Amino acid sequence: MSTTEKQTRSWKAERVLDGMGKKLSRQITGSLVACVHCGMCTESCHYVLANPGDPTYAPAYKADKIRRLFKRHHDWTGKVFPWWVKAGSVYTDEELEELKDIVFGRCTNCRRCTFSCPMGVDLATFNRMARGLLVSVGIMPEGVAVVSKDQWETGNQMGVLKEDYLETLEWMEEELQDELDDPTVSIPVDQPDCDVVYSINPREVKYDPRTISDAAKIFHVAREKWTMASEGWDMTNFGLFSGDDALGGSVASRLYEKVNELRGKTLVISECGHGFRSTRCEGPNWAKFDVPFVMESSIFTMLRYIKEGRIKVDKSKNPKPVTYHDSCNFARSCGITEEPRELLHLVCEDVREMYPNRAENYCCTGGGGAMSMSEYTRERLKSGVVKANQLEATGAEVVVTSCHNCVDGLTDVIRHYKLGMEVTQLVNLVANALVIEGKPAHAVVPGLEVEAGSNAQA
Amino acid sequence: MSTAVFEGTRLHGATVRLVRDDITELDVDAFVFYASHDLILGSGHGTAISVRGGPSIQKELKALAPLETGQAAVTGAGNLKAKHIVHAVGPRFREPDLERKLRSTMDETLRCARRVGARSLALPAMGAGYYGIPTALCARVMLQALDDHLRSDDALEEVVISVLDTPQWEAFRAALEALDGGKAR
Ligand code: SF4
Ligand code: SF4
Repeated sequence: MSTTEKQTRSWKAERVLDGMGKKLSRQITGSLVACVHCGMCTESCHYVLANPGDPTYAPAYKADKIRRLFKRHHDWTGKVFPWWVKAGSVYTDEELEELKDIVFGRCTNCRRCTFSCPMGVDLATFNRMARGLLVSVGIMPEGVAVVSKDQWETGNQMGVLKEDYLETLEWMEEELQDELDDPTVSIPVDQPDCDVVYSINPREVKYDPRTISDAAKIFHVAREKWTMASEGWDMTNFGLFSGDDALGGSVASRLYEKVNELRGKTLVISECGHGFRSTRCEGPNWAKFDVPFVMESSIFTMLRYIKEGRIKVDKSKNPKPVTYHDSCNFARSCGITEEPRELLHLVCEDVREMYPNRAENYCCTGGGGAMSMSEYTRERLKSGVVKANQLEATGAEVVVTSCHNCVDGLTDVIRHYKLGMEVTQLVNLVANALVIEGKPAHAVVPGLEVEAGSNAQA
Repeated sequence: MSTAVFEGTRLHGATVRLVRDDITELDVDAFVFYASHDLILGSGHGTAISVRGGPSIQKELKALAPLETGQAAVTGAGNLKAKHIVHAVGPRFREPDLERKLRSTMDETLRCARRVGARSLALPAMGAGYYGIPTALCARVMLQALDDHLRSDDALEEVVISVLDTPQWEAFRAALEALDGGKAR
């Protein structure tokens, strides 16, 4: 045994190394062993592009900080020839703090590097594992602690209290009644046996309630039998960002259980990349829950309503030039790139692509929960130069995205780089483009005209 | 979700109920908040306590901070339905000697409840959830501590264990059923 081996370890370091053994799924192990250090992923990372000449931002460099622990403690190569495979260990809490700054502060888990890797290394997967291991011993950025505790204990990641949530829904209902001059318009809560149970991001309650009333307007015009839930309504999941699978499972099961209790047929998830991924893709595994109902993003719901003739839209109501920002979780983790564009073209006159786009688009800088980690704001905004250049080159006045997290990330980048662009979501544009019976339409969407009266649904 | 599905295990003359509810809204003499060392209420249930209860609670805590692991302190509950809040500083995040520390936190919590003459007391799954204490261990230690305490506390008539989710519910139901089949009376 070497001298280093005789060093004593802090209990936190012990637990982290121990815990790693239990987290090594086939997918994670595959990514940990596969890297050949070819460097093909380097230029794909927005941190690298914003910090030229600094190799410490390279995906493989960051990955090696985790990989060395795996090699030393869980892989035979690191036991036989540690010097060759660069195996290493951690002993002190300070070393864990340094690791924290890398896994939380220098990677947004955007998975762009994965798409450049010929070996299929998925850094975000084991970066999330490393985050989870640190969180399990209480080492995490302050904001991650605050948000995680909120979501564990209040059921939503912004600590919105039940009475405030319900009051906001009532307020939005009144606004909508005034806007449509129709006192029968409602935002139903806890209605059983509905076709749609609509779940949202707590950010909508706290900072952007207009997205709730816009969605309600669309459901109303589509004559949808829908409801919101009084509890289990938060479709976001900080467990995806913090790496805490128990939180992931707890949040997801609260949502699923409520839909079951209400006997809802479809859970519609409002626009949010990580919320969709967590609820639709990861949640059933975290929660070990056999979900008996359909789960869909509201992007698909709105598109369906137009195609089925349940709502009519007039794109001339949205004349400003717009560009679409792909949320990393939608585009790279869920493969959803075309439907939002199809919808956007139906409701906006002037749509311009940013380059690169779709699965190759760059992170808004707010991925992986970065918006909650104020200690890394300077680095995050510096990395935002990549996004800022992309946005500016489109000449668009409005950036559209399907993610509340991206709205915040983009707004911050736009403010920092003084781009003077607006940020909005599809729900706002669709609601604005709605042709409501009795109100004159300027135009009809070409190719999607439907016969008069066919939007009347039981 | 505010349904009490597991009702009425009798333990040394007291009723122990399991509910899935917001602990800060319960109508009890005292409820327990799993506090931090500096007694800053912070997020989660802390937000609910400070928003619903008003500023008097944090003000009272200022004079009581800091506390060591295993210690607890009592404040009023401001505008909340409860009369008192027991702020208990327990172990967190897989720290060493977890079980012993959790047990002494529970003992101190129950002493605080006795001191204020609580006849009804609500407890969360102490340290489970955000602080990562394993739920099965949490349920076992809490119920053992309650079992021992209730032998000598005649004032406490009702104990409500308020959990956050299904895994916590299952762990406590199993522990309560084991107690019911064994020592509960
Ligand atoms: S592209 Fe893949 S194999 Fe090459 S350095 Fe990056 S992670 Fe390693
Ligand atoms: S996941 Fe994204 S932020 Fe992280 S290293 Fe890869 S490209 Fe960079």
